[in-house]
Amino acid sequence: MMKSDPLLKIEGLRLKFGQREVLKGVDLSVEKGEVVVLIGASGSGKTSLLRCINLLNMPSAGRITIGGEAIYELDPSARDGNGVPAKTVNRIRSQTGMVFQQFNLFPHMTALENVMEGPVTVKKADHGATRKEALDLLSQMGLEEHVGKYPRQLSGGQQQRVAIARACAMHPQVMLFDEPTSALDPELVGEVMKAMVDLARTGMTMVIVTHELGFAFEIADRVIFLDLGTIAEDGPPKEVLLRPTHPRLKSFVGRFHETADLLRPFLEGG
Amino acid sequence: MFDISVILQNWPLFWNGLLVTLFYSAISIGAGLVIGLIIGLIQLTGSRTLTVVGRVYVEIFRNIPLLVILLWIYYAFPIFAGLAVTKFWAGFAGLSLYAGAFYAEILRAGVQSIDRGQTDASTALGMTYGQRMRRVILPQAFRRMIPPLAGQSIIQIKNTTLMSMITVPDLLYQASYVSSFTYRPMEVYTMVGVMFLVLLVPLTFLSRKLETISERVK
Repeated sequence: MMKSDPLLKIEGLRLKFGQREVLKGVDLSVEKGEVVVLIGASGSGKTSLLRCINLLNMPSAGRITIGGEAIYELDPSARDGNGVPAKTVNRIRSQTGMVFQQFNLFPHMTALENVMEGPVTVKKADHGATRKEALDLLSQMGLEEHVGKYPRQLSGGQQQRVAIARACAMHPQVMLFDEPTSALDPELVGEVMKAMVDLARTGMTMVIVTHELGFAFEIADRVIFLDLGTIAEDGPPKEVLLRPTHPRLKSFVGRFHETADLLRPFLEGG
Repeated sequence: MFDISVILQNWPLFWNGLLVTLFYSAISIGAGLVIGLIIGLIQLTGSRTLTVVGRVYVEIFRNIPLLVILLWIYYAFPIFAGLAVTKFWAGFAGLSLYAGAFYAEILRAGVQSIDRGQTDASTALGMTYGQRMRRVILPQAFRRMIPPLAGQSIIQIKNTTLMSMITVPDLLYQASYVSSFTYRPMEVYTMVGVMFLVLLVPLTFLSRKLETISERVK
């Protein structure tokens, strides 16, 4: 049987902020159900790459397809340089879910309203059915007691789980996570990671930007190391994280191992 | 001594003046809000030309004193344009154009104060520009705008007194008239002050109340 097309395909992707080129020709394919973690030093372009997938950042060249349909195709004559019409862009965007470092919940809506907002406003979905599904999603996230609360009444971990439920409510083909645990207090990181692992087990295709290498090791099918705007290494977590070949990846992962080594006596002593 | 009969005998004139003041306040606040909404929003579309148009408008009407604007529209503009401008149109246009500039700034600042992440999150859900504004950005921005909008509207009510200079028969104009034939400026202008206090103190309290409410929902 012929191998099916990748769910997400990025070809020759370039991104410029003014004169500075942040992504210098990235090629990446993600299969359906795959969990891909992007790592790299700050400024390596990993968050920029993630934000290009749903065009929160508008690339300067290349091509991006999701589910076989182009969301970005360079057309220099178009106003924003994208040959794909805005209507198509919005439709494909609605099939991708995104979770942000700062949660970005809508503060004037309750947890339940946040989760219902996408389906009701964008997909014009039935209010009653959406409400039922949103309640289900929130209880899967362990938030059944908090559905009527406003974001400011929730902890960071709870807010981020609402944000994951909000993204899931759109039935996305792929979920994008931008450093989802970086803004959380250490004791709240675990609950968000658990929600993500649960989601990965359902077969959701996920692209995750994170600094948590231990978590990357747990959840990833593939780890990609970005360096200076290009993919420097791409492979299973065991190879990329435990047997790095690229010199900069070695020092990047090395720092992680050093911290782990430094902590070991304390952890074992405790 | 303070002779209240001066006021009572001429009460119909005061009353008419008050109605004129309220009428111009209401229509110029209404029209000013419409102008402000348009001028404020065109500066947020990302179009360079529209942003410049909005900026130029705001700077012109914020930096020329309202009295000068009123006098210019009533006495200078008809000469430039070669057409007659009635008191009503001069007063209404001057007040509305002036208020529009201030409302536009309140609106623009309100929308721009909303965190960039709100745009990111609503865009990522697939919302169009209109949906983002209507469902996410403006509901949050309006809450922040209520106190400054209320404050500006109170200033607007007080500013209507400047129309007396182009002989619009507002409260202050009527008072000057009463004063001119009774020779009792003390009673007359004290009454004008009292009437504005009675009108605006409750409104000021209301706007402060709105302020605490909008603080709470932030």
